[in-house]
Amino acid sequence: MLEIKNLHVKLADEDTEILKGVSLAVPKGQVHAIMGPNGSGKSTLAYVLAGREDYEVTKGDILWNGESVLEMEPDERAAKGVFLAFQYPMEIPGVATMTFLRTAVNALRKKRGLAEFTTPEFLKRVRAEAAALGVSDEMLKRPLNVGFSGGEKKRMEILQMAMLEPSLCVMDETDSGLDIDAVRIVSEGVNRLRSKDRAMLVITHYQRLLTYIVPDKVHVMAGGAIQKSGGKELALELEETGYTEFSPKTPAHA
Amino acid sequence: MTVAVTRTKAEQAYSESFEAVAQKLPGGRAVAEARKAAIGAFAGLGFPHRRIEEWKYTDLRSTLKEALPPAIADATRVSVADLEAALGGLAELDAHRVVFVNGTHRPALSSAGREKGLEIGPLAFALDRSAGDASIRPSAPGQEAMIALNTAFMTDGALVHVAKGVRLAKPLLLIFVRAGKEPRLLTTRNSLTIGSGAEATIIEAHVALPGAGAGQANALSEIAVGDDAGVVHVKCTLEGAGTSHVAGWLATLGAKARYRAFHLTAGTALVRNNLLATFRGEDAKLDISGCFLGRDAEHIDTTLVVDHAVPGCESRELFKGVLAGKARGVFQGKVIVRPDAQKTDGKQMAQVLMLSEDAEFDSKPELEIYADDVVCGHGSTAAELDRNLLFYMRARGVPLEVARRLLIESFVGEALDKVEDQRLREALSAMTVGRLSGLVA
Repeated sequence: MLEIKNLHVKLADEDTEILKGVSLAVPKGQVHAIMGPNGSGKSTLAYVLAGREDYEVTKGDILWNGESVLEMEPDERAAKGVFLAFQYPMEIPGVATMTFLRTAVNALRKKRGLAEFTTPEFLKRVRAEAAALGVSDEMLKRPLNVGFSGGEKKRMEILQMAMLEPSLCVMDETDSGLDIDAVRIVSEGVNRLRSKDRAMLVITHYQRLLTYIVPDKVHVMAGGAIQKSGGKELALELEETGYTEFSPKTPAHA
Repeated sequence: MTVAVTRTKAEQAYSESFEAVAQKLPGGRAVAEARKAAIGAFAGLGFPHRRIEEWKYTDLRSTLKEALPPAIADATRVSVADLEAALGGLAELDAHRVVFVNGTHRPALSSAGREKGLEIGPLAFALDRSAGDASIRPSAPGQEAMIALNTAFMTDGALVHVAKGVRLAKPLLLIFVRAGKEPRLLTTRNSLTIGSGAEATIIEAHVALPGAGAGQANALSEIAVGDDAGVVHVKCTLEGAGTSHVAGWLATLGAKARYRAFHLTAGTALVRNNLLATFRGEDAKLDISGCFLGRDAEHIDTTLVVDHAVPGCESRELFKGVLAGKARGVFQGKVIVRPDAQKTDGKQMAQVLMLSEDAEFDSKPELEIYADDVVCGHGSTAAELDRNLLFYMRARGVPLEVARRLLIESFVGEALDKVEDQRLREALSAMTVGRLSGLVA
């Protein structure tokens, strides 16, 4: 279970508070969605869960399976099962996708006390996952994300998610910049990973994604805090009414 | 007004040391005369120092404080196993080997086979027969003093001639080994002539055996690439932690020649690689790239002059440096486009990754363009490892040290990718990666 308790966060080198007391619990086996306008703090929450050092937690705690992750480095959190699918996946010139995947998978397996994959085992798994996500062999040979389209990058994120076998999946605007076909492919990939041992947190601006990845619960975030929580029907309500009621002082911006 | 030039102790000592060893140096009377004239010229010039523009960042007058005894007819014992270990990845290459230990040719360690159209031998033999003409002291602006010193003291090196139209089956591996505890001056010279339409790969490796004493090296390579010839020319400068290596590398390119050069420099206290490439015929292409890795207080200077003297030629330079500790990197790249050299296409880039706050990188690109229809560009960057990339990789479970290593390897990889031959590239990559571990740790 993921428990976020009264989380207050600011940028490490500024005083402005971005998260102002976020509380949230996602049990294993469930998918929760966080929806909210731009600037509500959704992405900050995603980064803080993964351990980005630019942020400082001033109050509160994040527990994963009962253990605080706040003092853990990003790679230690990954070893504990935390995975963040980035809104803007990084391009890594000069590092072949296959090399990167194998390095990450085997580093995690080692830390989790599992045997590293042999080359044939690894290739078999990558090929199976890649085929399901429509990731070509040619993409796997190229440097990670370099020259990939927006949709290819997002598929690559889900491929990594599948390969790294996380128990907590955080997806930050995985649908942004995708056409409807790409949203469907990515969603199918995510749905395949749904299981009773996994908790998922889907962050999105639009309801669209949630027709494909049907959440157990929806939370509305605005002004750095959860404003409202409800069932999957809350997403549809928001589609009608928009976020205006949650951020009266902030004019909507693109 | 005439100013009396005061010579440093080392400068004076080299002039005196020449008197003492001149008799033992190879070459007939004509060569001896040329050597004498050269040491005279050096006495007048002294070591280059920071008030000479080309030597602004690398002041040999203040760094080469001591004159070391020149190694002549050295007989230090070196086993094949020692040699292989010192060569690292290059030992794997199937090549014609010519080995020099402390500046003296070692036939027993060499394995230069026969190939039709290939003449390869020690320069010392040729000096004995030489008439000592002007070619013995090539001219290169800014390099006069060091070339003079090279002419005065050179003991040996490779003399290579590849006949017209011949494609060599195997690369030539010219190995210069520093061995033995005593600090010494090693002075070597290679003279390489590639006939028109010929193709050759030539690798020069300057390495040190473990336990080799601190020392100085003055190395000069001249290469003439004939019309339509294709040459891959590699230099590995890995002379050892206590050593100063100052080198000239003079290339001339004939019409439609293709010249690809690569420099790997690491693990040497002070390096100045001074490259001059001159286009002599139209429509030739050159690509000079390299990696330099500096740690501790190492000083690595790559100074490059590309002289577009004729029209229609293309030049590409890409140098990648990684600097740790208090290392200092210097890159000076000058591209000259002469008035006649229309349709010149020149691009130059030097990029450095700074792994420490105390490291320093001085970059001085210069374009001297006298023609109007040309495309020329240069760039230079110095940066730290990208924190966003590190976070991304770590969030995927890659430990920090591994993430750093992958990013550094990919950074230098871009230069290594310029080496087209797969086996050679893999050998150079392995050597680079091996040296990188010492920087990251």
